[in-house]
Amino acid sequence: MAVVQLDKICKRYGGAGPVAVDDVDITIGDGEFMVLLGPSGCGKSTTLRMIAGLEEISSGTLSIDGRIVNHVPAKDRDIAMVFQSYALYPHMTVAENLSFGLKRRRVPAVEIERRVRDAADILGLSSLLERKPHALSGGQRQRVALGRAMVREPMVFLFDEPLSNLDAALRVNTRNELIRQHHRLASTMIYVTHDQVEAMTMGTRICVMNGGKVAQIGAPLDVYWQPADTFVARFLGAPPMNLFTLPVASDGERIGGESVGGPLSRWSEAARGPYVGREAIFGVRAEDLHLSAAAAEGDGGRIRGRVFAVEPLGAETLLAIETEGGVECTARLPRDVTARPGELVELHFAASAGYLFDKATGKAIPADAAVGGVAGRPVLGTMQ
Amino acid sequence: MQAHRQMPRLFGRGALALVIGAYTVYTLGPFLWLATMSVRNTGEISADHYAWPNPWRWEQFRVAWVDSDFATYFWNSALVVVTAVAVVTLVGAAAAHALARYRFRGNRVIYGILFSSIIFPPQITLISLYQILVDYNLYNSLLGLTLVYISLQLPLTVYLLEGFFARIPQDLFDAAKMDGYGDIEIFRRIVLPIGMPAIATTLILNFIQLWNEFLFAVVLITDPEKRTLPIGIRAFMGDHFQDIGMIAAGVMISVIPVILAYAFFSEKLIRGMTAGAVK
Repeated sequence: MAVVQLDKICKRYGGAGPVAVDDVDITIGDGEFMVLLGPSGCGKSTTLRMIAGLEEISSGTLSIDGRIVNHVPAKDRDIAMVFQSYALYPHMTVAENLSFGLKRRRVPAVEIERRVRDAADILGLSSLLERKPHALSGGQRQRVALGRAMVREPMVFLFDEPLSNLDAALRVNTRNELIRQHHRLASTMIYVTHDQVEAMTMGTRICVMNGGKVAQIGAPLDVYWQPADTFVARFLGAPPMNLFTLPVASDGERIGGESVGGPLSRWSEAARGPYVGREAIFGVRAEDLHLSAAAAEGDGGRIRGRVFAVEPLGAETLLAIETEGGVECTARLPRDVTARPGELVELHFAASAGYLFDKATGKAIPADAAVGGVAGRPVLGTMQ
Repeated sequence: MQAHRQMPRLFGRGALALVIGAYTVYTLGPFLWLATMSVRNTGEISADHYAWPNPWRWEQFRVAWVDSDFATYFWNSALVVVTAVAVVTLVGAAAAHALARYRFRGNRVIYGILFSSIIFPPQITLISLYQILVDYNLYNSLLGLTLVYISLQLPLTVYLLEGFFARIPQDLFDAAKMDGYGDIEIFRRIVLPIGMPAIATTLILNFIQLWNEFLFAVVLITDPEKRTLPIGIRAFMGDHFQDIGMIAAGVMISVIPVILAYAFFSEKLIRGMTAGAVK
């Protein structure tokens, strides 16, 4: 177990080349499960590889338990990593794969055998120890990869999108298995993924990355309900948050107009003051949209538009509409929705469901903590 | 209905068997003919080229091996070829691994130079190699011939292995690094075992090519005691008389190691030739 601290870490390719990771500051606590989340090319895997020692750090300081490890080789960092491709040695049996790292570290044979047996028992690999990787299913390979990291008993576990090669059902099982192992081992784990469901369900905290920078760090629900900017708001949530660029009324109490608009009662006069008479970005999540004003708890806003897609998912239905201004908006509605493509509908939302972002910077404008939010949802601006 | 559907399949298989059979006769026929000639003397062969051996003159092999110094030629060939192939395989694999795995300045330039040496016929280097060997007192020596063989086969070996090694996923190297292994250990414990099908392929191709190599051997070796097998067989050919029976016996002796090498490595050779992505 260990504390991993990234202090102004940068990764530049070829000296003055493109910056892959830019000034990243993250502190990962002892026993924490930190998820690095972001789209392809956001720098999350590069950050992980720098922690692993597989990429050189261009500038900044990386320390593990207070010891600076920038120039410590990967093998001496006491870190184990599970790769996206599993990276099992194809010419070795499962048992040999599991023990390969221990043999190099001159762990006594009896101890190696014990650790391999224990890991195999825990992960259900006991009957597969003499098989080679090509004779294993995807899920079994994934478990061997996890076992290979576990037998090392490292200070830090790193995971580089380890579930992305599994089918949907197996992914859920393995996700739960990983959560269970984290609780059992109580080790520091850093997990890279582009899948927000994995991030939300597994992480103690999430670090959302964009363009090589940290966009936001926080507990999964904090990040979901209190996105720091429009990128995080769109990236977390399926469907993503609906965003509209709208004018703020001259009295500052409302945003938008007849077609799309709502009250800004959650924001104090001081908070919305700079935006009076100017445009700002207004956001509302798909699950906060309702077909009836009553369901939206009244006193809210509305979005009017023409339905262009109805996606029944069984438990619920996604309704996609296009507003008069040509902006697409999706609502997550009950399964009994009867709307048809081409129909004109009005979606309603509560005043507490709105988000406000600065148009120029995309940064969230914190709401007034004194004004209540939707049940179970923290209020913007109260995030630690 | 089912029988109706099976008819074209049976016909297809029959046609395939016919083609394979014809090709086998086409390729194996001359070899069998040579094998029969190796146990007949030249007089018998002249009388009837295709007759069945009667009697079977096994002593021709003894004559070739003992009286015609084939034992010496054989061991000369074995020494030169085994050494050259061993060095080419080891150095070639290491070089291919370095070119495939490490990013360093000049990587592609070196690769380009190696590739360019493949596309030119090796015969154009004959005169310069001759001069170099003379200058370094390596002319007419097995060591000199071994070095020439290494230089002849190394570029193609590196080229073939580089292509295979480049397909080994980077994650395997990273995983081995995380497991605590250094570059040389990774080469020995990961690259060599995983690359074995490709290495076996180059090994057997190099062995066959060098075992049968004639031109460089005949130019660079003059001492009868340093002859390799292909030159030894040439000794049965005079200006006015060719001892066909003995030539056939000599060829049979020289061909045995090639058959053994192929039999031993053929499975890996085929796997190497058909290797897809390394998983």
